[in-house]
Amino acid sequence: MRPEPIIETRDLSIRFGGHVAVDGLNLSVAPFVLKSIIGPNGAGKTTLFNLISGQYAPSSGQIFFNGHDITNQGVAKRTRAGIGRSFQLTNIFPSLTVLENVRLALQAKENIGRVFWKHYKAYPELEEKAYDFLRQVMLDNRYRADACLLTHGEQRKLEIAILLALDPKVLLLDEPTAGMSLEDVPAILDIIREIKFKRNRTILLVEHKFDMVMALSDSIAVLQEGRIICDDTPEAVSNNEQVLCAYLGGGVKHE
Amino acid sequence: MTKKISAPETGICPERTNKTIPVMYYQAGLVIFIALIPFLFPSFRVMDVVAKIMIFTIVTASFDLLLGYTGILSFAHGMFFGIGAYSIALILFFAPNPSWVHIPLSIVVSLLVSIGLSVIISFFSLRVKAIFFAMLTLSLAEFAHILGVQWSGLTGGEDGISFTLPSVFNFNHSLGTLFHTEINGRLLVYYLILASTIALFAGLLRFIRSPLGRVLKAVRDNEQRTTALGYKTFGYKLYSIVFSSCTASLGGILFSMWLCYVNPGSVFHTAIMVNILLMVLIGGMGTLYGAMIGASFLIVTENWLPGLLKHMAAFAPESTLVNNLADRWQLYFGILFILVVLFFPKGVIGTIRSQMNLNRQAKQP
Repeated sequence: MRPEPIIETRDLSIRFGGHVAVDGLNLSVAPFVLKSIIGPNGAGKTTLFNLISGQYAPSSGQIFFNGHDITNQGVAKRTRAGIGRSFQLTNIFPSLTVLENVRLALQAKENIGRVFWKHYKAYPELEEKAYDFLRQVMLDNRYRADACLLTHGEQRKLEIAILLALDPKVLLLDEPTAGMSLEDVPAILDIIREIKFKRNRTILLVEHKFDMVMALSDSIAVLQEGRIICDDTPEAVSNNEQVLCAYLGGGVKHE
Repeated sequence: MTKKISAPETGICPERTNKTIPVMYYQAGLVIFIALIPFLFPSFRVMDVVAKIMIFTIVTASFDLLLGYTGILSFAHGMFFGIGAYSIALILFFAPNPSWVHIPLSIVVSLLVSIGLSVIISFFSLRVKAIFFAMLTLSLAEFAHILGVQWSGLTGGEDGISFTLPSVFNFNHSLGTLFHTEINGRLLVYYLILASTIALFAGLLRFIRSPLGRVLKAVRDNEQRTTALGYKTFGYKLYSIVFSSCTASLGGILFSMWLCYVNPGSVFHTAIMVNILLMVLIGGMGTLYGAMIGASFLIVTENWLPGLLKHMAAFAPESTLVNNLADRWQLYFGILFILVVLFFPKGVIGTIRSQMNLNRQAKQP
C-alpha cells in the first residue's frame, strides 16, 4: 500500500515557442519524504518548480496537491494551501529590513494583510516569531539591516527563513546552497535535515551537489530534456546506466 | 524549533519607543504654529498660502501612497482632486437653499464617485503593464478636463462656478473679533482645513504603517515575491488606489471650500497633476512627510518668487533685459528644482533618511 501522493503531475507539459521544456511529465511525491530532482542544465528542473508553485501555467496536463486539482490556481492560492517555494535566484524584498522580510511571510499566514486601521506593531508576536526564524538560520544579528545590504550567502539564508515562516506542507527548494560560501552550507544542510527528520513536511529539492543529494534524499527523480528518465532510491539511481550517461556525460563508470 | 526565545532586551525594533516622543513634539509644535498663523500674520496672503500648502500636502501625500508606497504611477490623481472640488461646488451651486447638510452630502457623493471610478480603472488596467496604466489614467484625466470645459451647462465651462458656503462657513458671517483678528467664515474654513489635514495625514500614516501598508511596500519592492508569500497583489493595489483617490477627492473639497470657486483649469488641468508629481519628487517618494516639504516649496515659490523678482528688477527699471528676466519666474523655479534634484536625489526627506540609515547601519557590527 503506497500512501496517497501529496504532489502529483499527470502528463504535464509546457512549451515556450517551439521548445518543449517539460514534456509529458508524470511525477508523484509521497508525503513526508525528501525527494530530489536532479538532471543536467536545461533539463527543466526549475521549470517544473515554476509549474508546481504556479509561476507558469502548463500547456497541457494537470497538477494535484493532496488529491485536489490545482492546475488553474494562482501562486497566492497555492502558497496559502501550503506549497512554499524558495528561488534559485535570490528573491527577497531588498529595501525592507531582514526582520520585515520574515514578518511579511508570517503576516500572510495570519491572514491580517487587509487590516489597515491598526499599527503593524500591534502584533508583536509576529516580530518575535520572525526573530526566532532568523535565529534558526543564524541571521538574528542582522535583523535590522536592509536586506539588500546582506551578503549573497546571508540572502540565501534569509530566503530559507522566509520559507520556514510560511510553514508550508511542501517545500520547494531550488538550489538552496547555490552561490553560498562553504562555511555557510552546513547550516543550511542542518536545517534541511532537521525538517526531514521531523517527518511532518515534504521537501522537493533541486540541487547540483551530487554527494549532498545522495546523502539527504529518500528518493531521486532524474530529469533529462523535460522527461523523467529514472525515479528511484539514491542507491538505485546511482547505479542506473541511463542516469550515469545523462548526468555525468556518456561513458563514465561509477566506481 | 518552537523554543521560546525572548526578544533581545532592547526590544525587536526599538526605534519606535525611542523616537515617538520627539516626533510628537515636532508635530504638536507645527500644528500650534499653523493654528496661530491668522493671528501672527494679519495678511490674507500668508493664510492663503498656508491653507493651500495644507491642502496640497494631503493631495500629494495620498499620491505618494500610490507612487512611493505601492509603485503605481497614476496620472488620474489630479482628476480625483477635481471630482472632490466639483462635487461640493455643484451641490452648493445648484441646491435651492444650501445648508450645512450639503457639505457632508458632497463628501459622500465625491467619495462614492471616487471609489466607483478607481475600482473601474483598476479592473480595466491594473493587471496590465505599468506604462499602459500610466497612459490610460493620463487620457482619462484629459477626458475629465475636456468634460469640465465642454459641459458648460453643468460646470460653467472655462468660467467655472462661484458659490457661497452655507451657515457659519459663509465668508461674510462674522462672530466678532479676537486679538484684532475677525473671526469669520473664512477663518473657520481655515481651521476646518487644519483639522481635516491632521486627520487625513494621520489616517495616511496609519494606513502605511498597518499590516496592509506593509504589504504595499512589499508589492513595490518585489511584486512576484509578494504573490509567492500568499498575498493576492491585485486586491492590495486596489485598496491603495481607492484609499488614495478618496483622500485626494477630500482634498479637492477643502480646496473648493477655501476658494469658493472652481474651474476646470484650476483642478482638472494636467499642470495640477504635474505639480503634484513635482511635490512628491521634491519631498521624496515613499516618505509621506516629504509631501509637506514638496507642497511648501512649490507653493511658496509660486506665490513669492514673482514678487521677489519684481522687487529686484525695480533696482534697474530702465533695463529691459533685467525686467524680462524678472518676468520669467518659472525659469528660476526650474533652476531651483534642478538644484533640489541634484543635491537631494531621493527628495529632501528621502535623501536625509537614507543618509541617516546608512550611518546607523555602518555603526552596527
